Amino acid sequence: MSPLAAAGPVIPNYRSASSSCVVHNHLFCTEWIAHNWSPILWPALRQHILLTAVAVALGFLIAAALALLAHRHGWVERPTIVLTTILYTIPSLALFELLVAPVGANVIAAEIALVSYTLLILFRNIVTGLREVPADVREAAEGMGMSRRQVLLRVELPLALPAIVAGLRIATVTIIALATIVYVVCNQGLGVPIHTALGEGPFKTELIAAGGLAILLALVADALLVGAQWLLTPWLRARSA
Amino acid sequence: MNQFVEAFQFIGRNGAIPGDPQLPSLLHLTLETLKVGAIGVAISLAIALPLGIWLGHIHRGSFLAINAGNLGRALPSLAVLAIGDAFLGLGLPVVELALVILAVPPIVTNAYLAIDGVDPELVDAARGMGMSELRILGRVELPLAIPLIFAGVRTASVFVISTTTIAALAGFSGSLGDVIANETSYHFSGVLGAAICVAALALAVDGALALVQRLLTPRGLRLAQSKRGYRLADAARTA
Amino acid sequence: MRSTVMSRAVTWIGARATLGRATTRAISATLALGVLALVLGACGSSSSTTSSTTSSSSTPASSTSTPASAASGPGVGKPAITIGDKNFAEENILGSLYAQALQAKGYKVTLQENIGSTEIIFKDITAGRIDMYPEYTGVLLSAVAEQTKNPASAQAAYAEAKAYVEKHGLTLLNYTPFYDSNVLATLPAYAAQHHLSSVADLKPLGTQVTLGAPPEFATRFEGLLGLKQEYGVVPTFKPIAIELSYKALESGQVDVQNVFSTDGQLLGGKFKLLADPKHVFGFQNVAPVVRQSVLSAEGPAFAETLNKVSSLLTLPAIQQMNAAVSIDKESATSVAQKFLQANGLS
Repeated sequence: MSPLAAAGPVIPNYRSASSSCVVHNHLFCTEWIAHNWSPILWPALRQHILLTAVAVALGFLIAAALALLAHRHGWVERPTIVLTTILYTIPSLALFELLVAPVGANVIAAEIALVSYTLLILFRNIVTGLREVPADVREAAEGMGMSRRQVLLRVELPLALPAIVAGLRIATVTIIALATIVYVVCNQGLGVPIHTALGEGPFKTELIAAGGLAILLALVADALLVGAQWLLTPWLRARSA
Repeated sequence: MNQFVEAFQFIGRNGAIPGDPQLPSLLHLTLETLKVGAIGVAISLAIALPLGIWLGHIHRGSFLAINAGNLGRALPSLAVLAIGDAFLGLGLPVVELALVILAVPPIVTNAYLAIDGVDPELVDAARGMGMSELRILGRVELPLAIPLIFAGVRTASVFVISTTTIAALAGFSGSLGDVIANETSYHFSGVLGAAICVAALALAVDGALALVQRLLTPRGLRLAQSKRGYRLADAARTA
Repeated sequence: MRSTVMSRAVTWIGARATLGRATTRAISATLALGVLALVLGACGSSSSTTSSTTSSSSTPASSTSTPASAASGPGVGKPAITIGDKNFAEENILGSLYAQALQAKGYKVTLQENIGSTEIIFKDITAGRIDMYPEYTGVLLSAVAEQTKNPASAQAAYAEAKAYVEKHGLTLLNYTPFYDSNVLATLPAYAAQHHLSSVADLKPLGTQVTLGAPPEFATRFEGLLGLKQEYGVVPTFKPIAIELSYKALESGQVDVQNVFSTDGQLLGGKFKLLADPKHVFGFQNVAPVVRQSVLSAEGPAFAETLNKVSSLLTLPAIQQMNAAVSIDKESATSVAQKFLQANGLS
């Protein structure tokens, strides 16, 4: 039971690989980044993207279902707005912890919280987008003999697309920023290296690398969604009506 | 659900841990959170409101105003706090700086959209009546812009409370985040209790601001907006 | 402006009958992508939560659910194990050391890092969510068993901790030579000025001395309570987060700072450490906590490997490894790997 009286261990010479840039905590040590991209930064980035994609996709499905419901039955809108507003108002750190009680400290709690933050934005934008379709356009379509479903798919949704994509843009960017806090309940996302870096110094290179990646990710996602919107709304590109 | 019971017991004890009188009470931490947040919002309002309102009035700088909103949303608060910590160390001034950086964009964007979106015919009519620019702003544009401006202020305020608690993760002590970030001392019942307090605080602040908004909205507008009002306000909240 | 857009849109829709189909396709594609993202996300997330995840200790080769185990060895064919560690550097190093050593012997190991505090990780192991994690004997006694009595020696602490965990279906393997106890550090100048060599010397200073430590220090026996009870020391307490310890001490924010005896920053003698003759800070050797059922299922080589690793962990060894992680910012994984390679265990 007592520790074995072994001969002392061989301790590798760690300091030989130490880089002066890191030891002096300079702003941006490129060699540290190159060395730690695949063990630390890339996995964190990949998880961050996944967390966001799942949250926005799920949030979109739920918000779209609710929005279509509200579009058909107007009374649905008010309570949905009230509920999603309450969820949106609860600060992220608090919501994560509140969810840990029933769900446990895992990625499910994180995703439920992230989805909650998308609902208000997406629901409101989809509903508004559908509502803004001029009544005469809808009537014209119905007059042409389209069924309710065809009117929705062929007329209302395309016209609502700009508003829907605008909502997706806001939701995506917001979730990317919020996902940096997810690490308090599960070991994922760019918050993990940020937290590690804060605990050691703070270690500027890792902070700037991880924080910078989060910001870059948001900007890239926003740009991609703007591109998607441009592709999906050809009439906005048309030079002549 | 047993955990929620313990959490409420923790709140009932004002955050005391048996055997240690030295830790700050929950009430104190709540007030501190409010104080830090209030300072941040006040500074942000002082910077963002005049800027957004003026840009909206002269109908210039839409690109700047709207993309400031996007950028503000894209900045992860933890990253901003962490970078502030890296460069300047983490004291109250740095936290306030981070809060201002994060709170100014939504206020500017909403103020701009609010003033810019006022029916131009009304503004022209006022100009035709001989009103000075400042009077137009004060008598015509601002009252009509209140819902949207307030939506921005409400968003920013809640965000500021949220970020103040997150500052505890970056090492700043003096908010309810201290409890949430310190499960070792307070145990999960304490963390949950503090989380409930944070949520309640944010909802209370939002509710109080909604009340102020209602008081400031001119009567006629309030009646006209009764059905569309909440939709507009909520639309603007996340604009 | 919006009305002209609308009218243009309407004209377009009226003029192009195919738009309906294209849009439907676009919408279905988006929804399909969404569902696909969901499914991928669910699979991806579920495997990452049970695998070596990010932070400084992920296995370099892959961060998915099957880390690189050796193809042969006593571990091949045995049931897979999950090892957890807490969320600070030393635990990350220990987790990586044990995980990699087992993998080298053919065991299938999943390392769940940064699980959280003692309370959380102990709950995880008793619930069977993880099978093993490295724990400090003193922490087991004070934080988990909630004992207030002070064990008299490292051996006694180990024996009591082992007796305690055995009531929960767990057991302890051998403990390490090194111990990671709290220790009070001060700047040499301050120590010289007030003739400080042991904690007892702080008593005459009363509340004049400012002591910095993480908030839980105030409520623990290995903290303010013990200092008062055993030494009559009643300093002014300043809560300081662990990561800010050395900064607070060096900048003069505190006179005395609670640090840990294995910190890499202590290499080089820059700080004066105060002796603790009454062992208020207890004994904190590390021993792997293992579920008894897992121990029997994995065969004798399992315990042997872990014990071999533990025996090599002397104070200089762990201090060098901590320094490599906290000062040179090496990842815990590579630090562990180098150590195991140098000692023929990888």
